[in-house]
Amino acid sequence: MSTHHTKDFLFTYIFSTDHKMISKQFLITGFLMGFVGLIMSTLFRLQLGWPGESFEVVELLMGSWQEDGVMAPDKYLSLVTMHGTIMVFFLLTAGLSGTFSNLLIPLQIGARDMASGFMNMLSYWFFFISSVIMLCSLFVEGGAASAGWTIYPPLSALPQAIPGSGAGMTLWLIAMSIFIVSSLIGSLNYIVTVLNMRTKGMSMTRLPLTIWAFFLTAILGVLSFPVLLSAALLLTFDRSFGTSFFLSDIYIGGQVLDHTGGSPILFEHLFWFLGHPEVYIVLLPALGITSEVISTMTRKPIFGYRAMIGSMMAISFLSFIVWGHHMFLTGMNPFLGSVFTFTTLLIAIPSAVKVFNYLTTLWKGNIKFTPATLFSIGLVSTFITGGVTGLVLGNSALDINVHDTYFVIGHFHIVMGLSAIFGMFAGVYHWFPKLFGRMINNKLGSLHFWITIVSSYGVFFPMHFLGLAGVPRRYYTFSEFPMFENMVDINELISVFAIAAMIGQLVFFFNFVYSAFRGPKAPMNPWKSNTLEWTTPVEHFHGNWYGDIPTVHRWPYDYSKVDANGEFVYGEDFIPQTTPLGDNEKDGGEH
Amino acid sequence: MATIVSNNSHYKDELKRKNSKPLLWIALVSIVMFFGGMTSAVIVSQGGGSFIPIPMPIGFTISTYIIIVSSFVFHFGLIAIKKENYGLAKISVVLTLILGLSFVFTQYMGWVTLHDNGFYLTGKESTQESSFLYLITGLHIAHLIGGLISLIVVLVKTVKKRYNSDDSVGYQVSLTYWHFLGGLWVYLFFFLRYSIA
Ligand code: HEM
Ligand SMILES: [Cu+2]
Repeated sequence: MSTHHTKDFLFTYIFSTDHKMISKQFLITGFLMGFVGLIMSTLFRLQLGWPGESFEVVELLMGSWQEDGVMAPDKYLSLVTMHGTIMVFFLLTAGLSGTFSNLLIPLQIGARDMASGFMNMLSYWFFFISSVIMLCSLFVEGGAASAGWTIYPPLSALPQAIPGSGAGMTLWLIAMSIFIVSSLIGSLNYIVTVLNMRTKGMSMTRLPLTIWAFFLTAILGVLSFPVLLSAALLLTFDRSFGTSFFLSDIYIGGQVLDHTGGSPILFEHLFWFLGHPEVYIVLLPALGITSEVISTMTRKPIFGYRAMIGSMMAISFLSFIVWGHHMFLTGMNPFLGSVFTFTTLLIAIPSAVKVFNYLTTLWKGNIKFTPATLFSIGLVSTFITGGVTGLVLGNSALDINVHDTYFVIGHFHIVMGLSAIFGMFAGVYHWFPKLFGRMINNKLGSLHFWITIVSSYGVFFPMHFLGLAGVPRRYYTFSEFPMFENMVDINELISVFAIAAMIGQLVFFFNFVYSAFRGPKAPMNPWKSNTLEWTTPVEHFHGNWYGDIPTVHRWPYDYSKVDANGEFVYGEDFIPQTTPLGDNEKDGGEH
Repeated sequence: MATIVSNNSHYKDELKRKNSKPLLWIALVSIVMFFGGMTSAVIVSQGGGSFIPIPMPIGFTISTYIIIVSSFVFHFGLIAIKKENYGLAKISVVLTLILGLSFVFTQYMGWVTLHDNGFYLTGKESTQESSFLYLITGLHIAHLIGGLISLIVVLVKTVKKRYNSDDSVGYQVSLTYWHFLGGLWVYLFFFLRYSIA
């Protein structure tokens, strides 16, 4: 007897406390924000590729913010700032963790919902309000914040510094504070749910790697976001109440300010203490999703399950003691710099372990190339490409040459931006049947993948050469610098690829919306997967399982398990976690 | 069937019993990180060298004693509840509330002393140290207000005899938070005493 409510639309779709609905809310809000961020990047790429040229789209989209279709310099800065902020925090932190932690934690550990459904709802609504405020800040006098997504003082601390430092910056700080609260509430919930709500038999060493990744991500969030909050608070005091935490001896517009004794370097310390763990907050969920997808789609157990967990733990730990690599040029003591270089290079070890394990899992696998598989392999590729340049940047002697150039832009877009977004796409394609009860179109998905990977490498790979030639980031135009004249062609090429990448996302957008409503109905376990989420009915209802929650008897990666005669155990190439261990069988996670 | 979770009050009670404390503990970890950020900021900003030491106002010292005593008083209430002695429990919660408010008052006295001695939160004459001193103590008060609100809730529930020897999770959550606030203050007091004063 299933009584579907029609009466309270409000509590089913809007103020829902069901983790599956909240997951979809995060996904859609995150993607909409991501789309805004994407459009912004296309707009400023037009300016960078063809500086000073007039574009009708710019005119159309930016109205009075430009003259004759040419973007104004201060608008360029605010677009870059908002693009970075939106992509890092709104799409890849809230959008990614919010969607998949919410969807998969209860479903994969065998729980009816989160530890606190109410807090979960709160987390989404704080995120929503924060998104709205962030977008509104585009329209206030002076425009949105323009000090870069890292909002370094003094630019961010003095309202009179540049147009975006006024109301725009204030709203940025308000929006981000609300965002931090949202993220903290969410993370609290994820951690406690994983620790406390696992079904019978689901020991920590039987957890899918997705859950381990979300769990560690939440821990990173709980430990690092509060520090950003303290930085934001001190900055607010400097801006609005006349303290001097980050300010000293400033002359602006011929006027001497009262501030004495503070130091902007203090802000950098506080910011990057969050900032570096943040890149792993963005990356780890994507890595977890990839593990799951690769194992399922190669029909092979993940190689080195324990090593995967261990390396994620090592990465999480190390991410707290490397923040100084963003500050090599702040006059840091060279010895301290060498310490940060050392800890940074250490991260290469667990990262390499992960890559090795992905490749070994793929090796000789019976690979099924769904869009999710493609994006996962894409992630492995970008993780390598971006990781290699990380070694350059982590080395203080080398970083000094390319700090604040396009080399950095190329590096972090590939290793963090692309990897995380590929992981997110992989997740959306893989769990689309679970999210919407329908299958997403594979052909369009593959098309989306190929356009995306070609064009995004096309965008970000050449940036390394720009950076090596000394082209600085956050510049409105390079046409005034004779030494960069021969870079014009590269910039144009990059912009062409950027436009292609943008168009590629429209394919996804269409596929997503169309399939969510019109796609063929999904079977219960479309990928023949072992994990618990595929034992729930296709239709959603609050509570996930009719009857009792299933008990777990084995780890999640028993794919293609053969017995002594080389026959599949139980006759199939997969053994769900709910299947009891046979007499002579060992649990894969236990050794 | 469609509402296995949303209407099931047994399920909800069970969840609350099981999860309130772990949720609190992890929230405390993030509060620790917040104050950790603040106090490290003090250390980093003193890296520059010279600063004028600020004498610690007597108000702050008194408030330290008050909050330590309040922790014990509040704890006695839990023992009373376990024995279902509601009269005693009520007295202990009310007393804690009074001590909590006295803590706020003595902190305020501390700020007045600072101000009278020429140390300011903001403005031209403020220093990093004086600003931090106000701000950090103020932030602690902000967290303490949450504790006071939870005390009021606990008081109402004690009066209504909602707790008993089996079920006192709500009381315990509030108590843990209160102990935490006390511990946090003691840390902040000594930190400020030795870094700024
Ligand atoms: C096709 C998509 C994208 C394109 C074409 C693009 C392009 C760019 C470019 C050219 C800049 C540098 C602008 C300047 O320094 O003047 C930039 C900055 C940035 N982008 Fe992207 N980007 C894209 C996607 C992403 C994604 C997915 C992320 C998520 C990590 C991201 C995060 C950032 C950040 C953090 C900055 C730095 C902003 C700042 O300097 O404050 N971008 N982007
Ligand atoms: Cu870093």
